Amino acid sequence: MTATHCPYCALQCGMNLVPGDGGLTVVPRGDFPTNRGGLCQKGWTSVDLLRHPERLTTPLMRERKDAPLRPVSWEAALERVAAEIRATQEHYGRDAVGIFGGGGLTNEKVYLLGKFARVALGTPSIDYNGRFCMSSAAAAGIRAFGVDRGLPFPLVDIPRADVILLVGANPAECMPPIMQYFDEQQRRGGKLIVVDPRATGTALGAALHLQLTPGSDLALANGLLHVAVRDGLIDETFIRERTTGWEAVRRVVAGYWPERVEGITGVPRRRLEEAAHLLGSAETGMVLTARGAEQQSKGVDTVLAFINLALALGQVGRPHCGYGCLTGQGNGQGGREHGQKADQLPGYRRIDVPADREHVARVWGIHPDELPGPGRSAYELLDTLGMEGGVRNLLVMGSNPVVSAPRAAHVEDRMRSLDFLVVADLFLSETAALADVVLPAAQWAEEEGTMTNLEGRVLLRRRAAAPPEGVRTDAEILVALAKRLGRDASFTAEPRALFEELRRATAGAVADYAGVTYERIAEENGVFWPCPSEEHEGTPRMFLERFATPDGRARFHPVEHRPAAEEPDTEYPLYLTTGRVMQQYQSGTQTRRVGALSGAVREPFIEIHPITARSMGVKDGDALRVVTRRGVAEAPARITPAIRPDTLFMPFHWGGAGRANTLTNPALDPVSRMPEFKVCAARVELKVES
Amino acid sequence: MSVRESCPVTPPAARSGSPRPRLVVVGNGMAGARTVEEILLRDGGRLWEIVVFGDEPCGNYNRVLLSGVLSGTQPATEIFLHPLSWYEESGITLHAGERVTAIDRESRTVISATGREVAYDRLILATGSRPLVPTVQGLKGPEGEPLPGVFVFRTLEDCRRISGYASHSRRAVVVGGGLLGLEAAYGLQQYGLEVHVVQQSGRLMDRQLDPAAAAILLQVVERMGVRVHLGQRTAEILGSDRVRGLAFDNGTSLTCDMVVFACGIRPNVELAQECGLPVGRGIVVDDHLTTADPAIFAVGECVEHRRMTYGLVAPAWEQARVLADHLTGRPESVYTGSRTTTHLKVIGVELTSVGEPEATEPEDEVVQYVEPKRGIYKKLVIRDNRLIGAILLGDGERAPYVTQLLERGTPVPEERASLFFDLGGKPGAVSPDEMAEDATVCHCNGVTKGDIRECVAGGGCSLSAVMRATRAGTGCGSCKGLVRVFVDRFRPKGTVEPTPPLGVEA
Repeated sequence: MTATHCPYCALQCGMNLVPGDGGLTVVPRGDFPTNRGGLCQKGWTSVDLLRHPERLTTPLMRERKDAPLRPVSWEAALERVAAEIRATQEHYGRDAVGIFGGGGLTNEKVYLLGKFARVALGTPSIDYNGRFCMSSAAAAGIRAFGVDRGLPFPLVDIPRADVILLVGANPAECMPPIMQYFDEQQRRGGKLIVVDPRATGTALGAALHLQLTPGSDLALANGLLHVAVRDGLIDETFIRERTTGWEAVRRVVAGYWPERVEGITGVPRRRLEEAAHLLGSAETGMVLTARGAEQQSKGVDTVLAFINLALALGQVGRPHCGYGCLTGQGNGQGGREHGQKADQLPGYRRIDVPADREHVARVWGIHPDELPGPGRSAYELLDTLGMEGGVRNLLVMGSNPVVSAPRAAHVEDRMRSLDFLVVADLFLSETAALADVVLPAAQWAEEEGTMTNLEGRVLLRRRAAAPPEGVRTDAEILVALAKRLGRDASFTAEPRALFEELRRATAGAVADYAGVTYERIAEENGVFWPCPSEEHEGTPRMFLERFATPDGRARFHPVEHRPAAEEPDTEYPLYLTTGRVMQQYQSGTQTRRVGALSGAVREPFIEIHPITARSMGVKDGDALRVVTRRGVAEAPARITPAIRPDTLFMPFHWGGAGRANTLTNPALDPVSRMPEFKVCAARVELKVES
Repeated sequence: MSVRESCPVTPPAARSGSPRPRLVVVGNGMAGARTVEEILLRDGGRLWEIVVFGDEPCGNYNRVLLSGVLSGTQPATEIFLHPLSWYEESGITLHAGERVTAIDRESRTVISATGREVAYDRLILATGSRPLVPTVQGLKGPEGEPLPGVFVFRTLEDCRRISGYASHSRRAVVVGGGLLGLEAAYGLQQYGLEVHVVQQSGRLMDRQLDPAAAAILLQVVERMGVRVHLGQRTAEILGSDRVRGLAFDNGTSLTCDMVVFACGIRPNVELAQECGLPVGRGIVVDDHLTTADPAIFAVGECVEHRRMTYGLVAPAWEQARVLADHLTGRPESVYTGSRTTTHLKVIGVELTSVGEPEATEPEDEVVQYVEPKRGIYKKLVIRDNRLIGAILLGDGERAPYVTQLLERGTPVPEERASLFFDLGGKPGAVSPDEMAEDATVCHCNGVTKGDIRECVAGGGCSLSAVMRATRAGTGCGSCKGLVRVFVDRFRPKGTVEPTPPLGVEA
């Protein structure tokens, strides 16, 4: 029996894998402190992918762009990749080779990927799909608290919060086992307030649901704070002793009186006042955000507005209080800390800070001047593929941007325009299908490594089975390529050795893993960073005494509402928002291949309100086309009163005609470069069979 | 001015000795200060040296909240949008409490009441408006001084004075039954006064409501204890040392200790008029908020744009955005007019009025719902399948939906009643018996009611057996109670195995 973790979301539920006649089976791991034995259908069925018939077990290669993918030897595939990298860099310079990573990769692989880009390729062109996920909350957290750790407290603190404001999050669907904490909170008499344009399962179970207009979360936060100020609910002592910048925020929120906020958000002023009073009068309170608030072209400011609210109420930096972000991807937290982000080096060090460069260069055995500078963010990298000054030769690892990137048809076009595309994956994903070389990679239960969950708890993923013959780990692939590129000396593919390197590279950094060891993780059920030494017990709860800013105080930021990059108009009269269903994970490369999961939700759908549907003569199940300025996607109607009459919802887990991201708007947040997945203007029509 | 410059895209050359051209703003209210703030947000502080003149000695505050200050629900300290310190921190010169008395367009100079002369390269007039006081006898005392007990309701200072006087008064009359008058009446009531509202026209809020809505509002307001006198024109204020009462032109009178005039506002256009700018009801501007003089702009309540003047903050702020765009090199931004929404800020009354209160074209479609006993009145005015007006009285839940629909100008749903009532049905709980066989019981694991029935029929007679076999209840655990209900219900009669208490499995 192997104690390990689920391959999917950031909850990283503990599970045991037990070998049997038919391969591995999943058995609950009741002692693990986050999920406490709970698993959702994705976790239970996760082993189905290990011996899946569609699993890639040999490298594939096409001779020319118009030739089909054919099986080839590893030797031939790697040689071709190395030759193409050399050729691209010779003709177009080092920056023309790029890397697109993923938030599901282990810390070791993320670290190695960043090092491979900077040392083996010498390119600044590396970013990853976590840019589409966590970047807004991360940037806001750093600005306000001096550090970005999704939750600054462990999940067990949730039930002790008297009131929780959950914004743009649907954990009942996306992260079911976490609901035990919210259920417990409500059982103890606590109140849960959910902010979401949809009456989701999470919202229906809450004490209060604020069903706001997509893209208006910032105005709502400022409105809540306005009411809190007006009605004397703010914590002046906390503000005075532990924060800076309050006056500017107080001034800004004076302009968000309830009637104005009602007009922007569509939330009745009575509900706004009720929510402000619930949260403002609570002894302990939490404000949690997720993608709904963050995936906007003003995502950073939106998160800052909610942080302002939590700070003004004194509900941060005290036990059972705090602002937190519910991280999405499996290693969404670790994935953003260890160097696959265009502007970062391991440990949350910055690539543009000389001291940070020096430290990491020393660990990597190179001169700091050899390190490239910051590169383009994820969408900007994809948007310029194959273009003058853009990347012409791309390695994709642990990501499927053809399905998951905004304005996906355009991204697909850019992918096709590359001189050379390499994809390492378990299956022939939509992105892999476009590649010149596809490298079959090992899966979660086939290799060792660490993951950092949404609490900032570093976890150990153990190997429970050997990968199928012909499959290599991502790390082995990178090391083999480094070798062929003549930079093999400092590269290892061995997870423990990689982790030792990562510990040194992060020592003294914000996300300090120096004191974390595989043994400690196993013994202590995970170790919370920062953990600067093996004697240090780790940091489950941050900010209790001081914030990670130079003066130890949290910072307020005055932020103003502005409309989404695209608002409904006569031509596109509805909002479109996108999201997830429980049975699928991200671009669906894995979950769409699990029979029990795809059987439950086989295809995408378009949620439409009965009033809107009846106005158009649409019946449940009718084939619909959703049209935006970027393209068209098709799916059957799912008529539900759970959505606002002015809004459509579509899950984004599928490629092809039902690809929701064909529709989404790549308008970027100016700071985090997060695309506006959660709101754009759309039109819906009945599909006419031709 | 003979040469029309295509000015602000590239700001004019700086005056000699100054590194940046100077932008002078006359008026430090919600429009003027907001315009300055919008300019700064666009990094316009690098383009312009900004000088602001304001009548009031304080910074800029949120006038919308004054009725809350009067009624005591809004602390006066929390209404400041731009305190004095903000101007200094933002590098803006503010002459607070200093009124501009003249503009010399030839020399491009403004002159203040203290004799200060400030040259401008570009000038913004944000002079706002002032309360309209009808011509009645007795407004002034024997020495020509304002008669004690007579008030208007416009500024924070007015608010303080009213509040101070109210605390030793017994009966107040508000002249004007519009939005501001009713809010003032409500505010005065909070001081324990007997409050009367005198309205010249035959109904309350006649600019925002139709007669039917006004009639229901009248009942609501009277139920709150406010006495309303409709169709009464005030002729004279009685009392020589202080207010003693009001006399009406029909010969009747009303004793009172104080009177508050809330009869509407009049744009402050004199400054513009005296320097020769075209003025109608307000200072006439184009879609770039530019007056006839290309070096002079105007925003806010003092403006007449496409024959409209506005007395609300939303249009002023929209204008501020456009003007700031224009002054920071974004000439494509234009102001095309505003739809205005009014809310009556009186606790216990939910009233929203937006757009046209009445149909004016023969083809206009009107949809109404009236429930006088509960104080509910809802009305839509629809033209070409677009909402052009709505009144929602007594229903705060649907108001935001309706106002958003009007503001966006998107088509109205065919079922008009859906704007009044929730016709979509609520997603919510159904009883276990009502649940369909294919309804999901355990969402985490996709287990339906039918799956549980099948599992029990196949011999799974305990909660734990069903949970093991179907995985129902093994995710978040929140459905365990429901799974147990079904296990009990589907178990063959006579089976004795007790179901263990909740929470012990998994």
